[in-house]
Amino acid sequence: MADPAGGPPVNATVATSVFGVFMVATVALGLLATRGRRKGNGEGGGLAEWSVGGRSLGTVFIWVLMAGEGYTSFSYLGAAGWGYNYGAPVLYVVAYMSCGYAIGYVVGPMLWAYARKHGLVGITDMVAHRFGRPWLGALVAVLATVFLLPYIQLQITGMGVVVSTISYGAISLNWAYFIAFAVTTGFVVVSGLRGSAWVSVLKDILVIATLGFLAFYVPMHYFDGYGPFLDRLVTEKSEWLTFPGHGDSGLGQAWFITTSFLNSLTVVIFPTTVAGYLGASSADVLRRNAMLLPAYNVLLFVPMLLGMAALFVVPGLVGAESNLALFQLVVDSLPAWAVGVVGVAAALSSIVPMAVFMLVIGTMWGRSVLSLVPRWERRQKGAAQVVVVAAGSLALLLTYTAPNTLVRLSLISYEGMAQLLPMVLLGLMWRRLTLLGAMSGLVVGVGVVCGFVFTENDPVWGVNAGIVALGANLAVALAVTYAGPRERDDRPDDEVLARDEIGAPEQAAELDGAPVGTGH
Amino acid sequence: MSGRGSGIALRFPDVLRRRPQLLWLLVPYVLYLGALPLVNRVHPVIFGLPFLFVWLLGATLLTPVAVWLTRRGDRR
Repeated sequence: MADPAGGPPVNATVATSVFGVFMVATVALGLLATRGRRKGNGEGGGLAEWSVGGRSLGTVFIWVLMAGEGYTSFSYLGAAGWGYNYGAPVLYVVAYMSCGYAIGYVVGPMLWAYARKHGLVGITDMVAHRFGRPWLGALVAVLATVFLLPYIQLQITGMGVVVSTISYGAISLNWAYFIAFAVTTGFVVVSGLRGSAWVSVLKDILVIATLGFLAFYVPMHYFDGYGPFLDRLVTEKSEWLTFPGHGDSGLGQAWFITTSFLNSLTVVIFPTTVAGYLGASSADVLRRNAMLLPAYNVLLFVPMLLGMAALFVVPGLVGAESNLALFQLVVDSLPAWAVGVVGVAAALSSIVPMAVFMLVIGTMWGRSVLSLVPRWERRQKGAAQVVVVAAGSLALLLTYTAPNTLVRLSLISYEGMAQLLPMVLLGLMWRRLTLLGAMSGLVVGVGVVCGFVFTENDPVWGVNAGIVALGANLAVALAVTYAGPRERDDRPDDEVLARDEIGAPEQAAELDGAPVGTGH
Repeated sequence: MSGRGSGIALRFPDVLRRRPQLLWLLVPYVLYLGALPLVNRVHPVIFGLPFLFVWLLGATLLTPVAVWLTRRGDRR
């Protein structure tokens, strides 16, 4: 196998040039996205325009944006790496995203209508509105930031590894990290969610094209076609093809079922998903997308299969090396310009989610934290933009100085975020839930997650530790709610709760007819 | 007093009576998670693919159909 750093210098030049051209194009595209939006409407350029695209994105943009958020650098690196190391357990990603997209059919329009009715831009000001306490929004914002920051770092490191590999080592890891940060910050600060949606279009075209190509090319190149490849897989690697997969992973069926279930609920209230929901121009755009998005998951089978193909071609990768299972094949078998294009697709798979993560952190702080300071109250968008740069810089700095801190934190990210489910989702549907109950549940839930994860007991008893924590969270929330006093809040239910009002006036928006064919 | 909300226990069946089509959204949960113990096997191999993968690929293709059925019910 060719050592990535050992290719001829001309390869490095070609691949790096392709990559460089696309990165410049990315920033330009992101910046162009807001052209013509400034003028026109009187309040243009406000926080809602920046954070949720002025709630004006149609079916196609929401589709590429939400598909773009779901398809991160993990899909290229981790999915192939898990496929290589364990096999079948990696399919939990497909399972939870499909289930999550499906229930997004109900939850998406519900949150969208709530936010639109009350002029909200994220889950933090939703809970602040629901419980009538601005400080609660600030608290949730801080907590969510702690859970989101590791994801930014994961994208930075993921992109760094890819860029360094596809440039045949010409771009060092440290420079690659910086490029990831600079390109993303370069457009998201200015053009917000709309810019991310435009970049997502470029990303989706490249991702679909490159994965579609690799899905056929790799088996042909190394195995003389799919038949022989799959034959060898079934006869030689059958351990990888069922649960619990290869090795001592502890990732059995119970783990798969609980993790997929928990994540499918968490993903619908994940702050970045909610940003996508709120960007939609109508609730029906979201319903249409709930139908179209699961189809995108078919693409996730590709890196996973290629990861298992790498078992035959580059056996013996261990630890972090296995994350490069797919790129080893790419660098080994394709000409430099094609390596560059695949690298761009993978890099954009880091950039788009990273942009939305940073945007969401900025929005949460601008709207729910800094707005509590009187002199920032009227400059929420400016505050949000400052926070975007600060959050990105912090993640970059930690990547250089203390990479392990955030890696450890990332272990609790998803399961920690899941603990917001009772407060956000149940709170918006059930009036009786009290602030004290929701808070107590959240504290217990996050505590239990930290307890299991940091003592390395996740999975615990074969199931996802986050679901155990969520059970405790919910039990405490209900117990405290029923045992404690009823809350005095004179607002009517319609002011406080969220509803998925089907058949409301939004039907007018459907006059444009049939569902949009997005050709995936 | 308007501040006293009705319990969730009252509202859920109510929603399902009005929109029974929402039950279609459980289909992906049944296919991916509920059926897993029955499909966790390599054989029979179909078109070269191990059975578990065929099943999950099928679930991935049927999920949009389930959501479409919900939407069709809602649009009536």
